[in-house]
Amino acid sequence: MSAVTATILENEMGARTKPATPDEGSRLGFRLTLPAQILVLFISAFPLLMQLYISVTDWSPLSGAGWWNAWEMWNSFANYTDLAADTRFWSALQRTAIVMLVCVPAEFLLGLALATLFADEFPGKRIFYSILLMPMMVVPAVAGYMFFMLFQSGGPVNDILSRIVGTPVTIAWLSDPNLALIAVMIADIWQWTPLMFLILLAGLVGVPEDQMKAATLLGANAWQRFTTIVLPKMKTIIIIALAIRVIENFKIFDTLYIMTGGGPGVATETISVYIYKVTTQDLIWGYVAAIALAILIVLSIVAVYAMKRMAKAREVPA
Amino acid sequence: MSAIHLQNLVKEFGDFTALKTMDLDIADGEFMALLGPSGCGKSTTMNMIAGMEEPTSGKILFGERDMAGVPMGRRGVGFVFQNYAIFTHMTVRQNLAYGPRMRGAARAEIDRRVGAIAEMLQLAPLLDRKSDRLSVNILQRVAIGRSAIMEPAIFLLDEPLSNVDAAFRAVMRTELKQLQRQFRQTMVYVTHDQLEAMTMADRIAVMDHGVLQQVGTPLEVYNNPANVFVARFIGAPGMNLLKGRPAESDRGLVIDLGPLGVTPPLPDEIAPPVRATRGEVLYGFRPEQVALAERGLSMPVSFVERIGARTIVHLGEGENAVRAVFENDVGLSIGQTAVVAPPASSVRVFDAATGLAVKAG
Repeated sequence: MSAVTATILENEMGARTKPATPDEGSRLGFRLTLPAQILVLFISAFPLLMQLYISVTDWSPLSGAGWWNAWEMWNSFANYTDLAADTRFWSALQRTAIVMLVCVPAEFLLGLALATLFADEFPGKRIFYSILLMPMMVVPAVAGYMFFMLFQSGGPVNDILSRIVGTPVTIAWLSDPNLALIAVMIADIWQWTPLMFLILLAGLVGVPEDQMKAATLLGANAWQRFTTIVLPKMKTIIIIALAIRVIENFKIFDTLYIMTGGGPGVATETISVYIYKVTTQDLIWGYVAAIALAILIVLSIVAVYAMKRMAKAREVPA
Repeated sequence: MSAIHLQNLVKEFGDFTALKTMDLDIADGEFMALLGPSGCGKSTTMNMIAGMEEPTSGKILFGERDMAGVPMGRRGVGFVFQNYAIFTHMTVRQNLAYGPRMRGAARAEIDRRVGAIAEMLQLAPLLDRKSDRLSVNILQRVAIGRSAIMEPAIFLLDEPLSNVDAAFRAVMRTELKQLQRQFRQTMVYVTHDQLEAMTMADRIAVMDHGVLQQVGTPLEVYNNPANVFVARFIGAPGMNLLKGRPAESDRGLVIDLGPLGVTPPLPDEIAPPVRATRGEVLYGFRPEQVALAERGLSMPVSFVERIGARTIVHLGEGENAVRAVFENDVGLSIGQTAVVAPPASSVRVFDAATGLAVKAG
């Protein structure tokens, strides 16, 4: 009886599709996904392998040989040992870390405060909302020029400060080694707080309202509700927001380069600016490849850590 | 101390009046159900008692104390939400401990109180479970426990059984009723399910369109509905209401139902007030009280529903439709003519113009 049924089923199915063995099925799948796989290979695996290859040579575009012949200039791990001893690299890394440690927390706290404000209704909310998101839409290079002009010693920032203080203020924002870094950080905070705000607001409106009410009925005040309900529920989204900004901030370049060009001297030379200079001025591309690869590894570690934390947070669904 | 008095309570949302004056006294320790269809104002009333909404006018008193301006965290009210609103990112223990923790109780004190409440609600073995994967009856107990730990004098429950499937509701009803006996608090229970109200409540406040229709014990509301709305709303199916005019006959006062003929004579105690009403009346009787008879209303059977224990027979059509519920299968089928008569004592008469019950003088 069951054998008969099986035969009938087989016949019915056979009429529609050819019986496929698992092996044939996977071969078909491979063929169907091949174009996408080749694309992925070219946009991620190939550049990475090429970079790895060049990073163990002394190759430079001026050396006369094509990059595929870079093995003729093989120097094994000399680039990496040079990197370890490169003080300019380490101080650029340190500067990048300082910018990140100031900007990301500032953007987070400002974004969170604004998101809390915008979670409630108030008159003119939509207009303020649009205004608030505008910095994010500005092309970073344009933002760079804006702040370049704002921070000129005869510029609007000093002008406003003069009016407040009452005596003429002529701070040389962009040519003072310490102030230049501050100016650059202000520009970054101005441009990227909106993104933080947007992500955190999305998380904030997702906090269930009835649980907030329940907490209120149980006697929790606004601060207690925030720390015991809102923050734990937003954990995942906070980690995402911070991870995005840490990675993006690490790569800070366009706004900064237009404002200061990494200067005065090397006062605002972050990792990206340093790589850019080594690439376009010194033209030692084997070394550049080594730096870039080292940074990629560092960033990957950050990303993996963040994703692990996220997976952990997701075990407790909001 | 924990009695609730609502005095001339009104709530408007812009142009919409959710509650048009409500007066209700709920006694200390009473289980009061607010029953009505959605949009009748029952949840609004409850939210105002809890302090989640401010009344447009009128007073809410807990005992002698006016609650105007007392914020919702300070009213000493326990609130169980429709979906329980359990803090899903916490364990059962953290949920129970939330209230005392927010009030800054000492660690040992919190542990003692959580232990006691968990014991009472049989939650002790579940204390360290994450509360996002609990079954619904445990969620209900956690929700009640989380409020009960604050020892509120008043408990408000907002349709706590509406998300539960029908089979489980019976279990939950029993459990809730037992919990109320344990806690002995004043409970206000909002529901649109008359079965919940009838089985659990000491008294029921039936509401419709922002107006309190009737307050009474479940049996009072069932047996003596104050008006046509309550008559139709309570009971499954609701009361049969047939339009007619009072008429004198040699056997006493009857109602002339037009094409359906005349009713059996009305009982003596309601005959005089019915005689006094002018114009049309509604002749009402419960489907469950209808009996097959030799003399009575002769009507064609239009539909028969057999639901196991009971049989619901639909008689007639349109305005003159009557439903009759029988305990056994009475063997009627579509097209046959049945002669039914309600026992005289179960007849209720309503003034068709006002919708109000005509009370025995």
